[in-house]
Amino acid sequence: MAEFLDLESQDSVRMPWNVLPGTKADAANCVIPISAVYTPLKPLPAAMPLLPYSPLRCRNCRSVISPFSIVDFSSINKIWICSFCLQRNHFPPHYQSISEQNLPAELFPQYTTIEYETTAPHEKAEGGSSNVFLFVVDTCVIEEELGFLKSALLQVLGMVPENCLIGLITFGTYVHVHELGFGQLPKVHVFKGTKEVTKDQLLEQMGFFLKRPRPTAGVIAGVRDGLSQESVARFLLPASDCEFVLNSILEELQKDPWPVPSDQRAARCTGTALSLAAHLLGVCVPGSGARIMAFLGGPSTEGPGAIISKNLSEPIRSHKDLDKDSVPHYHKAVKFYEALSRQLVHQGHVLDVFACALDQVGVAELKVAIEKTGGLVVLAESFGHSVFKDSLRRVFQSGDNDLGLSSNGIFEINCSKDIKIQGIIGPCASLDKKGPLCSETVIGQGNTTAWKLCGLDKTTSLCIIFDVIKKENPDIIAQSANNQFFFQFLTYYQHGNGQMRLRATTLSRRWVAGPGIKEDLISGFDQEAAAVVMARQVSFKMETEAEFDPIRWLDKSLIHICSQFGEYQKDSPSSFSLSPRLSIFPQFMFHLRRSQFVQVFNNSPDETAYFRMILNRENIANSVVMIQPSLISYSFQSGPEPALLDVASIAADRILLLDSYFTIVVFHGSTIAQWRKAGYHELPEHQAFAHLLQAPRDDADAIIRERFPVPRLVICDQHGSQARFLLAKLNPSATYNSDGVAPGGDIIFTDDVSFEVFLDHLQRLAVQ
Amino acid sequence: MATPGGPRPGNAPPNHNPNALANNMQNLQINQPNQQQSSNVGGTAPRPPNTSPFGQQPPPFTGSRPGPPPPGVFARGPSPPSTPAQTTLPPNMVPARPTGPPPGSRPPPFASRPPPSGALPSSMTGTAAPPHSGAGPRPGPFSSSPLTSGPSAPPQMSSHGPVSNGPPAFAPGMTQSGPRFPPAMGGMPRPSAGPPQSTPMLSSGPSSQPLQVRPSFGSPPAGALSSIGQPAPPFSAPSQAPPFSAASQAPPFSASPQNMPPPPGSLPFSPPVPGVLQSSGSPYGMQTWPPQQQQQQVAPPPPIPGAMQKQQMFGMPPGQPPLPNQSMSLGQTGQSKIDPNQIPRLSTSSSVILHETRHDNQANPPPPATSDYIVKDTGNCSPRYIRCTINQIPCTVDLLSTSAMQLALLVQPLALPHPSEEPIQVVDFGESGPVRCSRCKSYINPFMKFIDQGRRFICNFCGFTDETPRDYHCNLGPDGRRRDADERPELCRGTVEFIASKEYMVRDPMPAVFFFLIDVSMNAIQTGATAAACSAISQVISDLPEGPRTMVGIATFDSTIHFYNLKRALQQPLMLIVPDVQDVYTPLESDVIVQLAECRQHLEILLESIPTMFQNNRIADSAFGAAVKAAFLAMKNTGGKLLVFQSVLPSTGIGSLSAREAEGRSNISAGEKEAHKLLLPVDKTLKTMAIEFAEYQVCVDLFITTQTYVDIASLSVVPKTTGGQVYYYYPFSALSDAAKLYNDLRWNVMRPQGFEAVMRVRCSQGIQVQEYSGNFCKRIPTDVDLPAIDCDKTIMVSLKHDDKLQEGTECAFQCALLYTTVYGQRRIRVSTLSLPCTNMLSNLFRSADLDTQFACILKQAANEIPSGPLAQVRDQATNACINILYSYRKFCATVSSSGQLILPEALKLLPLYTLALLKSNGLRTDGRIDDRSFWMNYVSPLPTPLVIPLVYPRMIAIHELDEKELELDDSVIPTSIPLSSEHISDDGVYLLENGQDCLIYVGTSVQQNVLQQLFGISSVEEISNQFILEQYDNPLSKKLNAIVNEIRRQRCSYLRLKLCKKGDSSGMMFFSYMVEDKTPSGLSYVEYLIHIHRQIQSKMT
Repeated sequence: MAEFLDLESQDSVRMPWNVLPGTKADAANCVIPISAVYTPLKPLPAAMPLLPYSPLRCRNCRSVISPFSIVDFSSINKIWICSFCLQRNHFPPHYQSISEQNLPAELFPQYTTIEYETTAPHEKAEGGSSNVFLFVVDTCVIEEELGFLKSALLQVLGMVPENCLIGLITFGTYVHVHELGFGQLPKVHVFKGTKEVTKDQLLEQMGFFLKRPRPTAGVIAGVRDGLSQESVARFLLPASDCEFVLNSILEELQKDPWPVPSDQRAARCTGTALSLAAHLLGVCVPGSGARIMAFLGGPSTEGPGAIISKNLSEPIRSHKDLDKDSVPHYHKAVKFYEALSRQLVHQGHVLDVFACALDQVGVAELKVAIEKTGGLVVLAESFGHSVFKDSLRRVFQSGDNDLGLSSNGIFEINCSKDIKIQGIIGPCASLDKKGPLCSETVIGQGNTTAWKLCGLDKTTSLCIIFDVIKKENPDIIAQSANNQFFFQFLTYYQHGNGQMRLRATTLSRRWVAGPGIKEDLISGFDQEAAAVVMARQVSFKMETEAEFDPIRWLDKSLIHICSQFGEYQKDSPSSFSLSPRLSIFPQFMFHLRRSQFVQVFNNSPDETAYFRMILNRENIANSVVMIQPSLISYSFQSGPEPALLDVASIAADRILLLDSYFTIVVFHGSTIAQWRKAGYHELPEHQAFAHLLQAPRDDADAIIRERFPVPRLVICDQHGSQARFLLAKLNPSATYNSDGVAPGGDIIFTDDVSFEVFLDHLQRLAVQ
Repeated sequence: MATPGGPRPGNAPPNHNPNALANNMQNLQINQPNQQQSSNVGGTAPRPPNTSPFGQQPPPFTGSRPGPPPPGVFARGPSPPSTPAQTTLPPNMVPARPTGPPPGSRPPPFASRPPPSGALPSSMTGTAAPPHSGAGPRPGPFSSSPLTSGPSAPPQMSSHGPVSNGPPAFAPGMTQSGPRFPPAMGGMPRPSAGPPQSTPMLSSGPSSQPLQVRPSFGSPPAGALSSIGQPAPPFSAPSQAPPFSAASQAPPFSASPQNMPPPPGSLPFSPPVPGVLQSSGSPYGMQTWPPQQQQQQVAPPPPIPGAMQKQQMFGMPPGQPPLPNQSMSLGQTGQSKIDPNQIPRLSTSSSVILHETRHDNQANPPPPATSDYIVKDTGNCSPRYIRCTINQIPCTVDLLSTSAMQLALLVQPLALPHPSEEPIQVVDFGESGPVRCSRCKSYINPFMKFIDQGRRFICNFCGFTDETPRDYHCNLGPDGRRRDADERPELCRGTVEFIASKEYMVRDPMPAVFFFLIDVSMNAIQTGATAAACSAISQVISDLPEGPRTMVGIATFDSTIHFYNLKRALQQPLMLIVPDVQDVYTPLESDVIVQLAECRQHLEILLESIPTMFQNNRIADSAFGAAVKAAFLAMKNTGGKLLVFQSVLPSTGIGSLSAREAEGRSNISAGEKEAHKLLLPVDKTLKTMAIEFAEYQVCVDLFITTQTYVDIASLSVVPKTTGGQVYYYYPFSALSDAAKLYNDLRWNVMRPQGFEAVMRVRCSQGIQVQEYSGNFCKRIPTDVDLPAIDCDKTIMVSLKHDDKLQEGTECAFQCALLYTTVYGQRRIRVSTLSLPCTNMLSNLFRSADLDTQFACILKQAANEIPSGPLAQVRDQATNACINILYSYRKFCATVSSSGQLILPEALKLLPLYTLALLKSNGLRTDGRIDDRSFWMNYVSPLPTPLVIPLVYPRMIAIHELDEKELELDDSVIPTSIPLSSEHISDDGVYLLENGQDCLIYVGTSVQQNVLQQLFGISSVEEISNQFILEQYDNPLSKKLNAIVNEIRRQRCSYLRLKLCKKGDSSGMMFFSYMVEDKTPSGLSYVEYLIHIHRQIQSKMT
C-alpha cells in the first residue's frame, strides 16, 4: 500500500492496476478497468522547482518532454525522442548546453511531475484581476435564514482579496442584478423570473452598448471585444471598491417581498438567476476565471430550471419518482442546466452551489452544471449551520488550508498507442477534441483527449478510464523488451495568483500479457483506488443507465474478481483465500453496497447528487472514507486506535470517532456519557477523563479543518437519538434478530446482511 | 333612515382648499386682500385634510369650489365672490340675473330707456365693465363720427354717450347697442383710415341696421373696440370696406331707413312696428339689417312678429312665440355693407348673476356658461352639473330634427361650485342605501311624486309606482308634497350626494394613489424637463391629501424603467430597473407604492437627486408604453392616478411609435386624403393597454414637455380612455414652463376629484341616451367607467327620442355618479334636471343654450376630425350652423325679407363661434399634427365655460390699464376686445387668453415707459422668447399681474405665457387668433355671415 502512496505523492496519481494487463482480453478479465485517479493540482513537494519557461513539445504528438524521453546527447544537434510516438525532436538552441550531467529539471528522473509557468501574453495583460466572484443569493427564505446568510456573506466579504472582482445578484420571484458601481443610490436591474433572457437581450437591456456602437458581428465578450470597462465596472467591482456598497445592500437585503399563498411554495427562479449570472459573466469577463456562487434556500419553482410547481400539494421528487420517470419538471430542468453548463464551460466560468434548506433545492438538476464547471457544492440544512458557514469561509481562507482554487484549466492526455481513453468521471467537461486516442467505448466525459476544468482546486481528482486495445498476440509477448505504457497528463490552468501554469505528469507502467500474469497484476493492485474507481463507476452508471441494478453489478464484479484472483479450490468455499493485496477489497465493496452512493432510497435525489459530486471530485483517501468510514476508538485502556467498523466496536467505556467524510460522529459509550452528563470532566480530579473526552474532539477538529465541504459534526451518546449517525455506518453484526447480546450492548435495527454473511456468500459464489 | 342632510356637514369646508394652491403658485403675484378673504371663506377649515377627520364626512367638494380662491389660485371665481355671503355681491347683480329672457320686468326699462337700460346691461351680462370701457374712450371718436356720419343717429348716440360715461354702472351702450355702435365704429376707423370712404358709404347705403344685441352679448365688444381706440386699424379700410365699412359708418342708423322707425325708447332703430324685433334697444328684439344693396331698405324690416315680446322669455308658457333674434341684412351680392361693430359679438360680464334653478315650479333657463353666476338649487341641479342644449325638450323627434339643433347634455358631475353657493348636501340612508325606483333604478329626487298618503311614489323617469319604504314614509301635506320635503335634501335639491352602502362596493374604497412616472431620457434631461418635473412633484407632495390613505410611488424611465423602493426601513431609496421593455412587469408588489407619510423624506431626496443621477444619461430612447404598463402593474391592486411626464417620442418597448408625422409630411401631396390618419392612433396597442388600465381603475394623466413631435394622437388614447388628460408644453422651455408645469400638476392633484367612478345618465320615458363622449372607458353601453373624475371633466351625453313626450309635462334627466372620494368614502352624486316639454319650434329656439350647443358642435367636430378629410369636417360645422339658422329663418321668421339674415337671439353668436371653430387649431389646415391632436384631446372633456374662450379667446388691452384704473370697479379684468386686427394698434400691448395659453402682444411702437413698467425692458427688440411674467413696482405691472392672476383663477389654469411681437413667428401666432380677420384660408367674420346668409337663401328657394 505504501508504495502506492509514494507514487501518489510524486505524481498525484493512483491506479487500481499499477501493472497493466497488456491485452484486451486480459483487461476484460480484470473487471476493474485500467484507470487512474489523478489530482492535477495536488501540492507538489516543496523542493520541486517551478520552471519559468514553456515546455518542449513533440512536434508530432505535442506531448511534453519528460524524464522518459530518450535524449541523445551525442549528436551535435541534440535530439530527444518522444516516448509516445517515438518522434525524434531537436532541442531548441538554448538547450544546446545540456548534457547528461547538466540536465534541465524536466528531465530529472524524479520530476515526472513538474510545473511550468507558461507565458500567455494576453492573460498576463489582465494580471491582477485574478478572480471574479458573482454572488447569486436566494431571498425566498425566512427572515431568520436570510439573517444567517447575510451575516455569513458579510463576514466573507471581508476576506475576499482586494483585487478580486465582486458582483451581486439576488433573486426570488424576480432576479435582481445589483449595479454596485452606481454611487448615488442602490440600483438594481430587475428581471422577470419566469422568462429566460438571452445574452443579446442582456447586452441590450442593461445598456452595455450605450456609448459606443454595437459591433455588427462577432462574439461580444468582455472589454477586449468592445465593451467599455466602464460598463463592466457597473456590475463587477474590485472588492475594495464596493465593500461599502455591498455591505449596505446586504444589510438591507430583504426577504422576497412577493406574497406566498399558504398553499404554495415561494416563487423562486433559480434557473433564471443563474442564467443571468452566466450571461453577465459571459458579457463582462469571458475567458477569465470567474465563479458564480449560488446560495440557494429552496427549490426552484419559477421559470426555466424549475424543479417543481409552486403548488404545495405536489410533493418534491424522490428517487422513486425519478425511477418511475414521473417527475414532470426533472428532464426539462436538467436540459436547461445542461445548456447552462455548456455556456459556462465555454466561458470558462464556475458554478458553485451552497444549498441550505431542509427541503431539496434542486442540486440533482444542477449537478450537471456544477460538475462540468468544476464547481464547489455544499449541502446543509440551514444557512446558520456550521457546515455552510465554515465551508464558505474556507473558500476564501488563505493559508495552509486554503482550497487552492484555480481556474480555467485545460486537461490533456497523451498515452501510448495501445491505450485508448474511454473518458473521465469527474468534474470536467469534454472539449470535444477527438483523436486516435479516443476509445469507442465511452464513459463519463469521453470521446476527447482534452477537457475543460473551469474550476479546480488542490483536491480535484479526475478518474480517467482507459482501454487496452492490444489484441492477444504471441509475438508481442515474445518481444517484451518494451513493455512500458506511457501516460502523460497535461494541465494548463490559471493559478490563484493569476499566473498561467502547466503541470505535466508523465507515468510509465509496465504491462504484462499471456498466461501467468495473475501474480504480476495482483502485485500492482491498489485496492483503495480500485474501490474508488468502482464507486465512481457505479454512481455514474446509476445515473446514466436506465434499469441499472448497482448491487447486482457490484456483486458480479466482486465475484468475478475474487474468482479471477482468489486462491481456491473449485466449489470449496472454505478453501477460498485472497492475496493481502486484495484482501480488504471485498470489505470496501460491502460498504460501498451499503453506502449512500448505492443505497439511495434513504436519501433525497439532492443528497445523492451531492454525495456523488463530492465523490467524483475527491482524491482516493477521502473517497475511501466516504465508502468505508473510519472508526477510531478512545478509551482509558489505550490510546486512540482504529476500530472495526462494526457494531461490536461499541462499548460503554469507549468514545468512538466515526469519520464518514460528510459526517463526523463523536460517540460516547453509555458509561462515558453518564460521566459526561454528571460533569466529571469539569472536576479537577478527573482531568484524565476530560482529556479522554477532548481527544476525539481535537481529532475531529483536525479533520474538519482540512476538509471541504466542512463535515457535519455530531456529538452523541450511546442510545441517544443522534447515535443513528454512527449506527447507520456500522456493520450490522448484531441485529435485533441475532442471538445473544453484543458486547457493546448495542444492536442495529436492520435486516441488512452483515459482513460475515456477505463474505460467506461471496466465497461460495466465487468458487463456483 | 338617517335623517338625510340635516346636520350633515355637507358644508364642511371642502377638503381641497384651493388656498393651498395659491401659496405656492409661482410667479403669481398674489393679491393679498383677496387671499385673506378667501381664507375666511374657506373659513372653517383652511386645511381641511387635517382638521376634518373622515368621520365628519366632509364632502370633498361640496364646499363648493374649493373655497375662496386665493389670489394666485386657480380657482375660477372672480375674487369678489370669494366672500362667503351672497350679500356681498354687488347689489346690481341680483336684479341683473335674468340675462337672456328676463321676465317682464325688463321691458319697461327699455322703454323708458335711459336709466333702467343702464341697469340692465350691467346686470345682464355683467357687461358692466365692458360698457364702461367702451364708453370711456369712446367719446372722442364717437362724437365726431356720428356727427359726421349721420344726422339722425348721432343725436341719440351722443345722448347716450354722456350717459354712459357718467355712471359706469349703466352702460347704456348695452341695450342700445344698436345706436351706440354705429357711432363708435364709425368713429374708430374713420378718422384715420378712411374718412372719405365712410362718408360715401354712409350716404350710399344706409344698409346696416344696428345690431340688436342681447344685453348679455351685444354691444360691449363694440364698445371695447372703440375704447381701445385704435387710431388706425391697419386693415380697416380695405377689409372692412366692402362689406361692413359702409354699413358701419353708415351709422346706418342715422341714414338708413330702418333707423327711421325710431324705437320707442329713444332708440333710433327700434322698429316702428311694435311687433318687429328691430328695436335695437330691446335686447330681445330682433335687429334686422336691411340689405344694403338696394339703396334703401327703407322697408321696415320687422321680420318676426311678436318679436317684441321676447322679453317675456322662456319662463312663459308656450303660446306666445316671441322669439328674440337678430337679423342682419346681408347683401347677397356681396356688396352688402355691414358694420362690423354691429355684428353679434360676445360680451363678457364680470358681474355676478344669481340663478335659481327653478322658479314657481318651472325650470329656470340657466345663465350663459361663460358668465359668472351663483346658483341656488331649488329643485333642478345647477347648470354647472348638467346643461342641456335646449332648455325645453321637443316633444317629438320630428320637431327636434326640424330645428336642426341637437339634443344633448353636457354633464360635469363634479364641477367646481361658486364659493358662495350652498354646498351639496350629503344624505346617508344607512345600510339600505338611497331610495330608488325599483324598476329603472333611478334615484329619489324632487320630481318623484308621492301619492296615496305618501305610501307610494311615482317615478318621474319610468312612471312606475313604487312602494315607499316604511322607514321613509311621510304624510303628504295639503299641497300634495311630503311634509318633510323641505327638510330632505333629496326631495328639494337638484343635486345631492348619497353615502354609498355596501352594495355599491365591489371592494373597499380604494386609497388615493399617486404614481409619478418621469422621462429621464437624454432629451428630457437636457431640456430640463426632468428637473422641472421633479421639482414640480417635489413641491406638490405637500399638497397631496393628508392621511394614511394617500399613497405615492415614483418611477423614471428611458430605455428601461426604474422603480424606486421607498420603504422607510431602507437607508436610501432603492432603484429597481426593469430592463425588459417588451414584456414588462413590476419589480415589487409592495414598497413601490408607499404611504406618503412613510416615504416623504425618501421621496424628497429622490426627487432632488433624479436630475443629477441621470445627468449624463446618453440614452435617447424612451420606453413610454412599457413604463406606463409597468407602473400600471404596480398600481393594479389599488388603482389610482398615474402622472406621466414624457418628453420625447416613445421609441422603444411596447407601444413604441414612429415619427409618422414626418412620413405624413413627405406624403402629403400624394396622400392628402389620408392626412387625417395621422390624427388617429397608429395602432391598437395603447388602446388595449388603456382599457386594461381603466378596468383596474388606473387613470393616466400625461404631461408632455417636448420640443418635437411625440405623436399625441397615439399617446392621448391612454389618458382619454382612463379619464385622464393631456397637458402639452410645446415647445417646452425649462425657464418659462416650469411654473406652469408645477401649477398644472398641483391643480391636478388638489382639485376636487374622485376615483373608481361609474356614471350613468337616466332620462324620462321618451328620451334615451344615445351616446356618451368624453374621457372615459365604456365597457357596457349604459355606463361610463371613470377610473378618475375631477371637477374639470365634462361628458357630453347625446340624447335621442324613442317616444313622444307630452306637452305640458316635464322631462327629467338624472346623472348618477358613483365614486370614491380621496378620503376613501364611497359616494353617489345624483344630479337631476327636469325641463318642460314643448311642441313649439319657437320655444326651442328661444330656449336654446348657445354655449352648450356650440360646445356640442365643437366636440362633435373634434370627434370627427380623425375620421375624414378636414374639408368635410369643416363643412359639417358650417352646415350645422346653417341648418339651424335656416330652420329658424324658415319656420320662425316668416315675415322677414329674403335679404335679411335673421338670427335667433339665443343663437346669434353661432356663426361667429362656428367661424372661430373653423379657424381653431383643430380645424386649421396648416397646424402641426401634434397641435391638432392635442386640440382634439383637450376639447374632449372640456367644460362648457371653457369652450367659448378656446375658440374665441378673450383679448384685452394692457397699455391702457393705467388710465382706466379709476373706471374699473371691482372687476379686475377690463372689457375684452373683438378679435380683429383692426383693433390692434401698434403702440398697444394686448393680452389674449383662451384658457390655455396667454399671449401678450407688444406692438412695435409701444411707449418705452410702458415696456419698462410691464417687462422691465426698454425696447421691443429685447423681448426674449422665453417669457416670465414678473411684477414690478408700478401700477401698470401690478395691474397686469392682477389680471393674469384673475384669469388663472377663472380658468383654473395657470396659462402658458408668451410674449409676442410683430414680425416674427410669435406675432404670427398672435394674429392667428384674430378670428374675425380675413386670412388666406379663411373668411372674415362678415364674409362668413354673408356666406351663411347666401347658403340659407339658397336653401329657402
